Amino acid sequence: MMLQYFERLASRLEAKIQKDSDKPNARRKFALEIAKLGARLYSGEHRVAWCGVAAPFDMLSAMNITSCFVEFVGAMLAATGAVGTFLEESEHGGFAADTCGYHRAVIGAAIKGVMPVPDVMIATTCPCTGGLAAMENLARTFNKELFVLDVPSSDTPESVKYLADQYKDMFRFISSRTGESLDEDQLRAAMEKSNRARELMVEVYRLAQSVPSPANGQSLANFGIVMALFLGTDAGIEIAQAYRDEFDEMIRSGQSGVPEERVRLLWLQNRIQFKNPLIKMLEQEYQASIVIDELNDITWEAIDPADPFTGIAKRTITVPFNGEVNRRLNHVRGLAQAYKVDGAVNPCHWGCRQGTGARGLIQAGLKELGIPVVNLEVDCVDTRNFAEGQLRTRLEAFMEMLRTSPSAQTA
Amino acid sequence: MYFLGVDLGSLSCDAVLLDNNGGVLASSVVPTGARNREAIARATDEVLKVAGITEHQIKATVSTGYGRDRVEKRLAAVTEITCHARGIRNLFEGAQVLIDIGGQDSKAVRLETNGQVADFAMNDKCAAGTGRFLEAMARALQVDIEELSDLDIGASGAVTLSSMCTVFAESEVVSLIADGVAVNEIVSGLNRAIASRIVALVRRIAPASNGLSIAMSGGVAHNHGVVRALGHAFETNIFVPSKPDTVGALGAALIAREKGTQG
Repeated sequence: MMLQYFERLASRLEAKIQKDSDKPNARRKFALEIAKLGARLYSGEHRVAWCGVAAPFDMLSAMNITSCFVEFVGAMLAATGAVGTFLEESEHGGFAADTCGYHRAVIGAAIKGVMPVPDVMIATTCPCTGGLAAMENLARTFNKELFVLDVPSSDTPESVKYLADQYKDMFRFISSRTGESLDEDQLRAAMEKSNRARELMVEVYRLAQSVPSPANGQSLANFGIVMALFLGTDAGIEIAQAYRDEFDEMIRSGQSGVPEERVRLLWLQNRIQFKNPLIKMLEQEYQASIVIDELNDITWEAIDPADPFTGIAKRTITVPFNGEVNRRLNHVRGLAQAYKVDGAVNPCHWGCRQGTGARGLIQAGLKELGIPVVNLEVDCVDTRNFAEGQLRTRLEAFMEMLRTSPSAQTA
Repeated sequence: MYFLGVDLGSLSCDAVLLDNNGGVLASSVVPTGARNREAIARATDEVLKVAGITEHQIKATVSTGYGRDRVEKRLAAVTEITCHARGIRNLFEGAQVLIDIGGQDSKAVRLETNGQVADFAMNDKCAAGTGRFLEAMARALQVDIEELSDLDIGASGAVTLSSMCTVFAESEVVSLIADGVAVNEIVSGLNRAIASRIVALVRRIAPASNGLSIAMSGGVAHNHGVVRALGHAFETNIFVPSKPDTVGALGAALIAREKGTQG
């Protein structure tokens, strides 16, 4: 079912890209690579690793492993509109219904046989313990041994070395299970590609900061987190290049992502993954543009291809979601100022202790900068819990407030 | 010229009609029921009848409430948060915080000195503590919803409700009745539980809320016991207008007048 879905999606997107080759196509190219990745994961012809969000995907690609964080499957199932049955399956299996929908969906998919059995499983202790628990559940379902990368929270040379050494152990683990060995030249080439994509992404984000922004509510949705899967590959460079060129051209020709942009918004954490009318409503009725997502940023230095383990360990440890909330708050405040946002939307994804637990601190921290926050209280995956009217009212009231309140507008 | 505000809520549909000077000519409150259009027509007809005018004489209509998009002859649809803020400021100029408890949601709104919304918060996920919740509790206590209003009088405050989920609270109330606990003690416990949730909501938008001027709107403001519990929690007298359930419609009518006379 999933293989056919991804293959059909890829061929539809290829046809559209070909047909509209003279039109902006960056988002379609991004979606095409996602569809191709999905098809590879489900084809049965590639070595597959199911991973935690903070796994080193560029290193894994150097080893010819098609790797993906499991939450991706939860998001994909939500996007297809068929997620309900998988959520129910996980709940029937005893996974608590008030835990994260991404994890419930993927566990349900594994139980129902809609997840390919992986060759290896690499969990990470960052960004959330729920993700680790989900990986342990999946490892039991697949009867696979789980390799856990223990990501320390402090950015010290000792911590970096501790994680870098684990990557070496991880490669030995993968080699012993798959027979694939790590080629140093391939690893170096992957790091160079990763760095090139990083450079282009820095450009993309710099351009998105323009007022008005070339980004609209959809163009960079899920971009940063999913691009991690393409780092170290040619596809990663091509996607980033397409966005860079498209945004560059839009700015030069005076086009903005949302026509007559009036309100600039920061979206915290992750997006609502299933089809919904809220973003379009914000754009069409309020000329409000989501110019930046919290997960869309480059927070690491270029990796030294001669010492990739150290560079990637540092990249992982310093991700704003790792460790104390204050690190995340400082990052969010920096984004809000760089992108000159008028307000922030926090979905407060149900079941995400990390997201909802930090809600008050994030709200207070942004308020100190004069940036109001609206909390949605939405399950970003579970369509069964979607209360459109309630969410519309919150967002519309927020827009009315931003338009009329002098103190709310003093960003 | 006349201006109409219509608030289509989950429990009631309210209408307020203003004259050219912003004076209230008539207001109405009708049950929403299952047919929104009929409720809108009835609420509108009532105010037109009282004022002795026809629909054609209305210059502008603004709708609000969860069903605001279902009011067909509207100049604009505005959220209940903005409308309640405008309405309460018209009735109580000094209001700094507004608590609105309606049929299925509760809101806390912090007001600017000019009456605009500075911040707001709404109930999370469930509708415990709202009008529907009180309906369920009245049913469990076998009293009319209106009777619930003063049933807490004379209570010592010894009973604490441990759950605020509507279903669980209902069974807890039934258990307390079976245990022979006095009704006034149970109702007092319910009112304090509602107040506790509302205090948490207000603190999110106004951390130092004690000492601020607080007003209340929405149908639950008719319940004196809940208002008393809130006043006790905030150590202040809560201002409640004479027709708290029409505050949203009043705000909508005021916005209709503003928009309708702009051009």
